[in-house]
Amino acid sequence: MEASNHSDDFIPAGLAAYGIEADEIELAVIRAAHQTFWPPILELLELDTSQVPTERAPDLSQPPPSR
Amino acid sequence: MSEPLDLSLREQAAAVAAGEVDAAELLQACLERIEERNPALNAVVETFPERSREMLAAAPAGPLRGVPIVIKDEWPLPWRAQRFGAAEMLAPTAPGESAPYRALRDAGAVIAGIGNMHELGAGSTGSISVYGPARNPWDTERCPGGSSSGPAASVAARLVAGAVGADGVGSIRYPASYCGLTGLKPTFGRSAMAGHHMAAVSNTIVSGALCADAADCRLLDSVLFGEELRAGNPEGLRIGVLRGEVSEDVAPAVREACEGAIDDLRRETGGEVREIELPELAVATLATVLIANSESLGGVTPERLNDLDPELSPIGRGLLKYRVLLPAIATIKSQQVRTMARQTLARVFEEVDVIAWPTVPAVAPPLEAPLVELPSGTLTADAANVRGGALANLTGIPAISVPVGSSEGLPIGLQLQAAWGRDELLLDAAEALERGNGRRWVEATPPAARGAETLEA
Repeated sequence: MEASNHSDDFIPAGLAAYGIEADEIELAVIRAAHQTFWPPILELLELDTSQVPTERAPDLSQPPPSR
Repeated sequence: MSEPLDLSLREQAAAVAAGEVDAAELLQACLERIEERNPALNAVVETFPERSREMLAAAPAGPLRGVPIVIKDEWPLPWRAQRFGAAEMLAPTAPGESAPYRALRDAGAVIAGIGNMHELGAGSTGSISVYGPARNPWDTERCPGGSSSGPAASVAARLVAGAVGADGVGSIRYPASYCGLTGLKPTFGRSAMAGHHMAAVSNTIVSGALCADAADCRLLDSVLFGEELRAGNPEGLRIGVLRGEVSEDVAPAVREACEGAIDDLRRETGGEVREIELPELAVATLATVLIANSESLGGVTPERLNDLDPELSPIGRGLLKYRVLLPAIATIKSQQVRTMARQTLARVFEEVDVIAWPTVPAVAPPLEAPLVELPSGTLTADAANVRGGALANLTGIPAISVPVGSSEGLPIGLQLQAAWGRDELLLDAAEALERGNGRRWVEATPPAARGAETLEA
């Protein structure tokens, strides 16, 4: 199945799963945010990061320890 | 002598130390100026003259003795809990001695007021706040930038000569650019942060100075760092530039000013310009936003989201609720993207000393509709600004915004980024840039600070 940013089902279903209520204005904000964020999130999920180690407790004041 | 309040931060400090300016009179002048100019700006949301006078009375002979400072509504003070620009925060708050407060107090500074900010720190424009938006001193119908909107507007309007902001996703650099100031986002962990409600969980937020120029930032940031940020010589500076969206999908006037400034910097330092590649930049921007938005979710419960203060803006309420829908896999991959970006930057900084691109792609947009026109089309200012601002927060590197031009009577900023711990180099480079353009842009003052003249005049 192809991924999409179709929000009609995702947003109300997602909020309902958590028991979170939202009024119409809030839903409009959430839909706008979803339209902005979801396409790049889908691109991010396509990125194969299996060879990239996650830095354990990274010290962001320093460069990465090994490269 | 000029009006003491119009002196630079370092000149105010020197004048007080030399007995040329009475600190009590300086504080009184500051409070009176806030009363006079702030109604048009809403930059300062609270003053506490008695507390300020108590700080002054107890001020030690530090590097900022008797100098008034504004601090963002993001840290507690002993007499006031932070509000984070919001009607409600999803974190417990109480009055207390935050690290920036202690640093300022121990340096002899006087906190004169609280700077406005974008609600919950969640915006680059300053257009939303529980106090009402702060306004840009260059044009009060324009955004001052966010989230450190009030600190920036306070300094630009010369209510104070220095202010403390915070930068989680560009929040010092965006308002510095919009307001024509110099603003340093320090290397992660170098500046005072304790007492911030997210200090224990955030890998992105730092405190930092907003001042008229780099020398003032050096002084105030030295206080926040707890160490002297020594001046050096950036001779032979290797300047990295990047082709692509962050430097090319920008308003023509911004591109022209920033390219000219990069040339000024190269010439002034006898340096060179090299093209670099940052293949992860676009995905790093998203990763920053996802990480920054998930760092604050610890205190969230569905029950709390269903009982949000109705005074919280609809945008704030909606975005808080949307955050719980963000997939965990995206946040995990974002952490891997951070590793990739840090590794790439470590390699890049073997080849160049600084990376330069526009701080934001367009000048301050209208408060009423914070949209910007770019070659690619119309974007929200938030979506456009984050492209250039996020990388430093994701990876921990320092970054500075320096004023380098104007368009439509509004300032333009150039961002310089350097390797971890090279905050001093950024200040050196900013000072070289100031010399390169004759300090034209750091000495420009907005209408709100000097009557009705314009920047172009």
